[in-house]
Amino acid sequence: MAQPPDISALRADFEQSLAAARSVADVKAVRDRFLSRKHGLVTALLKSVASAAPDERRVLGAAINTLKQSIEEFLSAREAALEAETVPAGAVDITLPGRVPATGRRHPLTQVRERIEDIFLGMGYEIVEGPELEDDWHNFEALNMPAEHPARDMQDTLYLSDRMPPDANGRQASLLRTHTSGMQIRYMETHQPPVRIIAPGRVYRRDSFDATHTPMFTQVEGLVVDEGVSLGDLKGTLQGFAERFFDARVKTRLRPSFFPYTEPSAELDVECQGCNGTGCALCKHTGWIEVLGCGMVHPAVFEAVGYDPERYTGFAFGVGIERLALRLYGIDDIRMFYENDLRFLEQLAP
Amino acid sequence: MRLPIDWLVEFVDVPRDAGLVAARLGSCGFAVDSIEGDVVDFEITANRPDCMSVMGLAREAATAFGLDLTRGRRLVPALPSGQTPIKVSVGDAGCGRYALVVMDVSVGPSPAWLASRLTAAGIRPINNIVDVTNYVMLESGHPMHAFDAAKLAGGEIRVRRARPDEVLTTLDNETRKLDDAMIVIADRDRPIAVAGVMGGASSEVSASTTRVALESAWFLPSSVRTTSRRLGLKTEASMRFERGTDQAAPVAALARAVALIAEIGAGQLVGGVTDVFPKPIPPRHVPLRRARIASLLGDTVPDAEISRILKALAFTAVGRPDGWDVEVPSFRVDIAREADLIEEIGRHWGLDRIPATFPALRGLPPPSAPGVARARLIRRRLCGAGVQEANTFTFIEAAAATPFSPADDLVVITNPLSEKFAVLRPSLVPGLIESLTYNRNRQATDVRVFEVGSVFSRARGERTCVGWAISGSRGDHWSHTGSDVTFADTKGLAELVAASFGVAVDVAAADDATWLTRGQRATLLVNGQPAGWIGRLAAISTTEDPVFVGELDLAPLAQAASMTPSTITALPRYPVVVRDLSILIDERLPAADVRGTIRSSAPETLISVREFDRYHGKGVPDGQISLSIRLTFQHPDRTLTDAEVQQVVEAIVHALTTRHQATLRGR
Repeated sequence: MAQPPDISALRADFEQSLAAARSVADVKAVRDRFLSRKHGLVTALLKSVASAAPDERRVLGAAINTLKQSIEEFLSAREAALEAETVPAGAVDITLPGRVPATGRRHPLTQVRERIEDIFLGMGYEIVEGPELEDDWHNFEALNMPAEHPARDMQDTLYLSDRMPPDANGRQASLLRTHTSGMQIRYMETHQPPVRIIAPGRVYRRDSFDATHTPMFTQVEGLVVDEGVSLGDLKGTLQGFAERFFDARVKTRLRPSFFPYTEPSAELDVECQGCNGTGCALCKHTGWIEVLGCGMVHPAVFEAVGYDPERYTGFAFGVGIERLALRLYGIDDIRMFYENDLRFLEQLAP
Repeated sequence: MRLPIDWLVEFVDVPRDAGLVAARLGSCGFAVDSIEGDVVDFEITANRPDCMSVMGLAREAATAFGLDLTRGRRLVPALPSGQTPIKVSVGDAGCGRYALVVMDVSVGPSPAWLASRLTAAGIRPINNIVDVTNYVMLESGHPMHAFDAAKLAGGEIRVRRARPDEVLTTLDNETRKLDDAMIVIADRDRPIAVAGVMGGASSEVSASTTRVALESAWFLPSSVRTTSRRLGLKTEASMRFERGTDQAAPVAALARAVALIAEIGAGQLVGGVTDVFPKPIPPRHVPLRRARIASLLGDTVPDAEISRILKALAFTAVGRPDGWDVEVPSFRVDIAREADLIEEIGRHWGLDRIPATFPALRGLPPPSAPGVARARLIRRRLCGAGVQEANTFTFIEAAAATPFSPADDLVVITNPLSEKFAVLRPSLVPGLIESLTYNRNRQATDVRVFEVGSVFSRARGERTCVGWAISGSRGDHWSHTGSDVTFADTKGLAELVAASFGVAVDVAAADDATWLTRGQRATLLVNGQPAGWIGRLAAISTTEDPVFVGELDLAPLAQAASMTPSTITALPRYPVVVRDLSILIDERLPAADVRGTIRSSAPETLISVREFDRYHGKGVPDGQISLSIRLTFQHPDRTLTDAEVQQVVEAIVHALTTRHQATLRGR
């Protein structure tokens, strides 16, 4: 009767062989040598159990099975380890940059304008658009600014050298609109109250071109007309706008002012964020920054468009987008909005 | 208006605290420009000429602080009646009142206190007589003028229209051409001052002057404004007159000046006062309703407070059942109707006290202007396609505009800021080219910019367009090198914009688009009508790299979009059959013609024709190109057989051969 090979010798043999295996193929060869059903060394050892003494069979069998299990675990582990080291076909360097489809960004002024539009759309306003070339009636006269009114100085006007062809009412555009208020007139001339509109767009003034002025800028004007609209309603609306635009905690104040087309007139200030209202150079040491002009629609404006000023009241406001954008993005030179430097434009999310 | 606080406290006993006074008046409608020591510079709005004075601001401060005016009614001796030695005649309605006194004076420097007050308020001291007129103007708001009486030819003053071609050398030593829109103060022979604007040099008060005529008048605001603008001359006087001075003030201001000149020992009155005041304006009465105050402000102001504010601001209010009848003081030229009075109440009640409410939304708001959504969609599509939105000026240089428009179709600005801003853009592209160049000059090689905005033409008015300019590479990545943009890219952007509205664009020759390179330019057609153009820019001085541009008019696009049905058809259930053709054709034959021939010789089962390669070079005879086309067939109701597709393909090949002398490749 053949003496069964020593289990510990076999284990030592296995450990040595496995240690020498450098590839998945090497591991497979080791597996074959020890575990092959036909001629594996462990298989052979298991077969030899049958010829052992009956009282030794159980112990011997268990020991060999333990060895077999352990060899299998070692082989799988080694195989997995070696597989992890190989480069699979089609492997990529996942750390290289992805192929991002080229994207442009909306201009910062567009982003601010759409942000304002969306706030007022949420308050039930209708957005209206109108011509940038205006006639004197819509830009001035209907807004309580007859010829030679000193308030025309507040809006130094760019005029066209020739009038444009007349419109359906025989009016001829003769100037670049100094505000989008002309749209308020156009809207009221063709609609009955209630009115709740905003009119965004470019406006033009004969202003110098420097860090704080441009001869062209963008405005959003609003108009609400109905029975019983009050200055309190204007205040609540603008406070709501400021909270959405800046921050829910922003502090605002209304300060009396003058515009020919509103009475009473006011300006909305927000607390200076540069100094939190304690006073700094940015806010001329007042703690407040002027954001927009507003007021209750002047009865003469209602008369010009055929509304009954006894029955209807309303408010109007006008906000300069560039000024809000300067504050929002922390920029101190308005010209950056017109240079179209990609390094500037690409800083914002699309 | 620079207000020294120590001058203010002569009229109202406010705390001597510039910051406090600034803050209180600031919240009543007088914005603060600056505070320098004891002097607050207030911005006075155009409706408040009365507050371009210490007394005007004192009245506001008294109202704001709840104080009484202390010397507001200071005792100034009335001027004696009787004639002045100078004859005055007023011959124009633009002068509503003309008052004059004559004084014998000794001209010299002002006392220090007077000079320093003027300096603090921002006016340069000149001599005691001129300084007093300026002092009274700053104090009361009423401008005055002093003439050297000895220089008046004929010893008289005539207020009249200027005659065409009259000239006057004004105090600033400018010789000014006058015209008959202007009112002048003249002596017997010639103008000696432009009414309400500036005096003449010839009658200027000088060290040798011994007798002066002090003028204190009221001029029609629009007349002074016209004159001031025509002369391009703005003065402390003209700014007050054109906003509206107090018709009641002229004689009182003279009395104050006479008293002050006497007080500083500079002169004595000669005779009485001449006062030509043909048609005094009666005081205005404006009704003020309690309920209207509440509804316009959205707050209930107690009656007592309303009365207090009106009284403090010098209104005379008489109670009525529904409110008050209010008499407006003559210096408040801005108060004409009820809303004006309600503003006065609101200002001094305090806008911060009015509760914030919200206007009721009583119905569904109408949909917004369609242009808004259109522009938003285009911006997002083009940004998504890798084009950056730019924001360029509406006005451009004439030279930049001319290639894009006939010169007589340009809309020109009369008073441009500079030649750079002289005409309104006839196209968005010149501005975009400037942006592109700007970036290329700063090492950005791949630039793609677009803009949505208005363009202008005399004949066609104002139109909204989208324009773009692209150059450089279509994007470098480690996995491949980018290829340069071509005509196909600018055409692709036009197609992308049009497709955003479900509209197709066609192309036609663009022979008159001289700003584009021959052979690489096209007119864009929407529904057969020109709606824009695309192509390669003909010349750009700053770069040799090709720049491709395009512009598309949004109105025709929107119109075409509105005619496009917005329904979805059920998906076909049968498979498609695909056949590829490669043909050799003349290189001048447009692909569109080939496509047209294919379409016209195939049944409706041909659902798509798409070019997938265009090649010339090796293996293709000179003057010819190889065009590869993919044909896709599908029948809505059944599976097509190979045989019937083959039959159609042969018909197509036959048509291409006979019509275009095409030869089939690779057979």
